[in-house]
Amino acid sequence: MIGWLRHQKHALTAALHRLRAQPVATLLTALAMGVAISLPSGLYLGLGHLGRLAGEVPAQPEISVFLDAGVSAAQKQIIAARLKQPDIAEARYVPKDEAMAMLSASQDLADITAGLTQNPLPDAWVVRPQASSREELARVADDLGKLPGVAETHLDSRWADRLQAALAFGRTGVWLLAGLFAIALIAISGNAIRVQVLVRRDEIHVSRLIGATDRYIRRPFLYVGSLQGLLGGLAAGGVLAVAGGILRAPVERLAGLYGSAFHLLPPTGIEIAAVLGLTTLFGWLGAWLSVTRALQQVEATR
Amino acid sequence: MISFSQVTKRYPGGHEALSGINLTIDAGELVFLIGHSGAGKSTLLKLIAAIERPTSGVVSVSGQNVSRLSHRAVPYLRRNIGLVFQDHKLLFDRNVIENVVLPLDIAGLDRREALKRARAVIDKVGLLKREKANPISLSGGEQQRLCIARALVSRPALLLADEPTGNLDAGYAADIMAMFRDFHQVGTTLVIATHDDRAITALGGRTLRLDHGKVQEVAA
Repeated sequence: MIGWLRHQKHALTAALHRLRAQPVATLLTALAMGVAISLPSGLYLGLGHLGRLAGEVPAQPEISVFLDAGVSAAQKQIIAARLKQPDIAEARYVPKDEAMAMLSASQDLADITAGLTQNPLPDAWVVRPQASSREELARVADDLGKLPGVAETHLDSRWADRLQAALAFGRTGVWLLAGLFAIALIAISGNAIRVQVLVRRDEIHVSRLIGATDRYIRRPFLYVGSLQGLLGGLAAGGVLAVAGGILRAPVERLAGLYGSAFHLLPPTGIEIAAVLGLTTLFGWLGAWLSVTRALQQVEATR
Repeated sequence: MISFSQVTKRYPGGHEALSGINLTIDAGELVFLIGHSGAGKSTLLKLIAAIERPTSGVVSVSGQNVSRLSHRAVPYLRRNIGLVFQDHKLLFDRNVIENVVLPLDIAGLDRREALKRARAVIDKVGLLKREKANPISLSGGEQQRLCIARALVSRPALLLADEPTGNLDAGYAADIMAMFRDFHQVGTTLVIATHDDRAITALGGRTLRLDHGKVQEVAA
């Protein structure tokens, strides 16, 4: 156990030494990794913001039930009774006068309503169904539409549905992209390590002759790969911080024009830790693949 | 300690370096391998350290069948063998003491203890004043002494040397051979491949002549 720890410590110091000995190469590799990782991470953050924006819109879709102009009191009672059924979570009656008052209150439409001689609006119910699945909503809307005295039902969840679908598509895209860039990361790390192995061919050869196991030889390279990955993750963080700084003002201006106090948030600690952890892991993996292959080649050409 | 039984080594391309060799070397023996270059001296040493595998036959070292040793077991065999090379195989990216400490690092020894032992061995080969120097700045003889220090630092029971004085002038060669005599006297088994007759006559010991892949004892 102590021997194992000693080997780890020795390999880690050797790895740090190697990275420090080639600052430019280390920096360039970290930068290549950082740029590669910043794209999917940036998209992920962007989608998170869009999701947050979409979350401000009521997630529960509503059905507007417009009544006939000449609806009878009996029909109204039947409708009210139907809306007490368990598949309805909440139902609010909006008489046409109240609807007209709301319309007049909103600035832009006041001019139009003022010009009207009579109220063209129907009485209505705003209904929030218990279920939220698309099929169930359509069924409830359809059901309500068949009641006597109901002129029309309107399911106003469509654009929210579309936004949700677009976000789901975007998330899938981000994962796909993240997968591709993970492969790129492994390739970048693997290539950097391959060069290192070539430079250290003599050392590997001599170490083997004096009793080094493959694990002993591999270990510093794995540390170099992991540290390189970690540096890549930090570089990605830097790239995103700079991008965020540049985008902040225009985003807030755009949001302000839509009357929203929306602003960019930094990633959470867990997200940062996840990105750094994954880049370290993929750096390690690239190094492992590269050095294992190289060791087999050294073996074959001995 | 070492035994060869019907050992043949044929290289790809058909060259047969050793053909049907039988030989036994006891613990504590000092053995010289002689013969013209290409007679199979290096091959014989490489078979002992499992750097090469025999085409047929059995090589055993300390009771272990080296010819069938698994890839994973080879490093542990080599830790008990000190290797001295004609071309030294030193690492020029680190100083003298770091070269010597390498086998102890590999074995997982405590760093301070390792440095202490390395310094003692460097002192023994007379390079203590150069411990911080890069090996590239050392003379041929000093480089060979450094290579010997690295081979001995882990106190192996067996030392294999391939032409240790091959590139050295007479004075340095005598130094190195005197060093080997000291190790022999403290019980280390030594197998030295050389074509340097002066060394053999100076040290005595057993001599084996390799010729066209066959081995024969040379009467002292």
